Amino acid sequence: MNKMRGLTKNESINSGNGKEKISFGRKLLNSLEKVWNLQESGIIVPTIIFAIFVQFVNPVFLSAQNITNILRQSGFILIPAIGMTLVLIAGGLDLSVGSVLGLGSFAVGFCMVKLNLPIWLSIIAAILAGIAIGLINGKIIVKFNIPPIIMTLGMMYMARGLIYVSTKGLPIYPLPKQFQAIEQNTIFVLPTIVIICLILCIVFHIVLTRTTFGRSVYAIGGNPEAAKLSGININNVKIKVYAISGMMAAIAGIIMASRLGSAQPNTGETYEMNVIAACIIGGTSTFGGRGTILGTTVGALLMSMLANSMTLMKVDVYYQKLVIGAVLVIAVIIDQYKRKLAESNAKASK
Amino acid sequence: MASEYILEMKHITKKFQSIVALSDMSIALKEGEILSICGENGAGKSTLMKILAGDYPYGSYSGEIEISGQPVKLTSTGEAEKAGIAMIYQEISVELDLSVAENIMLGIMPKTKFGLIDWKKTRETAKSVLHLLDLDLDIDATMRNLSASVQQLVCIARALVRKPRILILDEPTSALTESETELLIGILYQLQKTKISCIYISHKLDEVFRISDHIIVMRDSRYISTHNKSEIIPDKIIEDMIGRRLDSMYPSMEGRVIGEEILRVEGFTVQHPNSPKLIAENISFSVKKGEILGLAGLVGSGRSELLRAVFGALPKKKGEVYINNIKCNIENPMDAIQNGLGFLTEDRKKDGIVKTMDIGQNMTLSILKRISKGLFINRSSELKNITKYFNSLRIKAPNYKSSILSLSGGNQQKVVLAKSLLTEMKVLFLDEPTRGIDIGAKAEIYKIMEELANKGLSIVMISSEYPELLAMCDRFVVLGNGKIVGEMDKQEASETLLIRIASGV
Repeated sequence: MNKMRGLTKNESINSGNGKEKISFGRKLLNSLEKVWNLQESGIIVPTIIFAIFVQFVNPVFLSAQNITNILRQSGFILIPAIGMTLVLIAGGLDLSVGSVLGLGSFAVGFCMVKLNLPIWLSIIAAILAGIAIGLINGKIIVKFNIPPIIMTLGMMYMARGLIYVSTKGLPIYPLPKQFQAIEQNTIFVLPTIVIICLILCIVFHIVLTRTTFGRSVYAIGGNPEAAKLSGININNVKIKVYAISGMMAAIAGIIMASRLGSAQPNTGETYEMNVIAACIIGGTSTFGGRGTILGTTVGALLMSMLANSMTLMKVDVYYQKLVIGAVLVIAVIIDQYKRKLAESNAKASK
Repeated sequence: MASEYILEMKHITKKFQSIVALSDMSIALKEGEILSICGENGAGKSTLMKILAGDYPYGSYSGEIEISGQPVKLTSTGEAEKAGIAMIYQEISVELDLSVAENIMLGIMPKTKFGLIDWKKTRETAKSVLHLLDLDLDIDATMRNLSASVQQLVCIARALVRKPRILILDEPTSALTESETELLIGILYQLQKTKISCIYISHKLDEVFRISDHIIVMRDSRYISTHNKSEIIPDKIIEDMIGRRLDSMYPSMEGRVIGEEILRVEGFTVQHPNSPKLIAENISFSVKKGEILGLAGLVGSGRSELLRAVFGALPKKKGEVYINNIKCNIENPMDAIQNGLGFLTEDRKKDGIVKTMDIGQNMTLSILKRISKGLFINRSSELKNITKYFNSLRIKAPNYKSSILSLSGGNQQKVVLAKSLLTEMKVLFLDEPTRGIDIGAKAEIYKIMEELANKGLSIVMISSEYPELLAMCDRFVVLGNGKIVGEMDKQEASETLLIRIASGV
């Protein structure tokens, strides 16, 4: 529908012999139309509007320091959310990311403090631990055909249990100063985590949009039967996305340990909910087959912005959960509306 | 004011934003009449019926609907039901985990004076309507365990128990066997006697020509013509439907060179996916290069499952596949594709198209490795492959980035066909390739099949439409109850013979 509207507009623009000047108003409308047509517009537009609104209420909101805060906070949700985006697009779900985040924290702390391994080795070990959990999730889901929600729920408990058993409930503390420096430093003014997020976002955006693996992920989520009959190895792809999800959660856990300076056994508890919310707000469907890294990024940013802005506007902390829940539902409603519009237009034009 | 018509739809115009789905469409239905509406996909038949059934409520279209001369404003499907209109949809929609009785009485279950469900009355009513339809079914059976054809018959019972005055049937026989179709037609004649009127929509023109009192032809959202029972000229009706003379629906299929054996299937035994019995037992057949082999048989005779098992999409208990006389190990569709097999499934919505992807992405799903360098998809290589078949199969779409849902059934089928053709296979399995496709698109698909066979591609075709099977195939293998019950050449075959052998008489 929007394309057709655009066509008529262009017709009238080009109906002169190109000598007509395009008015500023028309240019603005055209770019606004481009933003509306973006798949992620359902969330980008409200986010921008919200940011402008908060800026009015408290001008500190868009200050350099505050923006840095927002970016930093959103990173801890975004990194696991990137992995979750892949899992959701493939039609799955990973409830264990909170626990794997904690496990990543624990593993890196354990290696550095109890095993006295060098920092770089500890980091690699922790990442491998995350991948291993993901592989276990994926392999069991695929081999025994268990619904992902059940397997990853079980893993959520098991991984967390593993942490508590190993730490006997005590934090690993303190972590080496060099390690803490990783998160607490900045590269070109931006916090390390933001740079890491940027790199991961770009990498996985490319993976999703330009690799055969990415195409397979979308196909499996869109119609697993059709994907199978087209010769795609759906089991392999599924196992890989869960491994990636585990890896990303572990990475987030490592960075969090660096930030806190200690590995707490309860790190990441209930995090999976925020991560899933960020993905869904960003337009990734739980039915599979749809989702983008850009959308998830905006979703994570919005969630971080919400928490931050409510503090700045002196809103009671308890209201924050209410607001996030409401935003989640509204974002999904907007996305559904856009999707139904597109589908009914597509079908009606047959 | 009494009208001689029980139903009149007058000057109905319906638009979806700027797209016109119906333009000044009018129909009139007499009491006890069977009216058929014919037209290609996209002609507007379903839209018109959805308006009548209340799916598109009053206000979303212009024009009037009159029942027995009284104008009605149908604001919902509930309103339509109250007005005596019942619709049986093409897509079987039943509650799979409820029983037959519950499905039939869903929404109108009688209540006891305490407000709870009166199960006794529910069961009695369900039993009586099934008796009326001469259907011997266990009303406590769970729908999930019943075959698609039986599910469709339960849908019909569900419509009838609401005592409609007007019954709309949209492709009701697509999932039914020959005998069940006869049963349904018998039911419709019975309903006629009780003054119930029917609107019948079907691509099966032989059925339509047989049972209709009147046939209305639509094309491009408009009314084209009405044909009376006594003056039905099939060619004229088809012409009206597609807007041009159809010289011949089927290509000549002559003058092809058939080569050596290319595929041999030996001793295939396949277990039924939903029950412990065998759906195919010790089946062997072979196909030559450039040959089109027809797999005939009744619905449920195991043809689809057999081909799926050969393709590796269904597990097999026993069986070997030889391609060019070399034994192939096919455990899954990936192996099958690698060995040069292709598969077009019977239900593209279920396992043919990925509806969240666009046309191009759907097409190249089978050749991802080939169009990529290492991990990355080579965009220009992808585009080259898409354009090749976009043009050669004459797919009608604005461009390859359109959502696949924007295509008609026939064009969607072409995309799925392109997906298989891109793998450059040696043998193509076609499972009901023209199901749910309008007549113009069917002719195109037949022509494509002829071109492919001429180039040396071998085809194994499953179809329940005997004219299609007889026109296109060189040889036939007939399956009955999972076993081979007959084999014959094109010359020996006829519709009667095939049906007789398939039914075991």
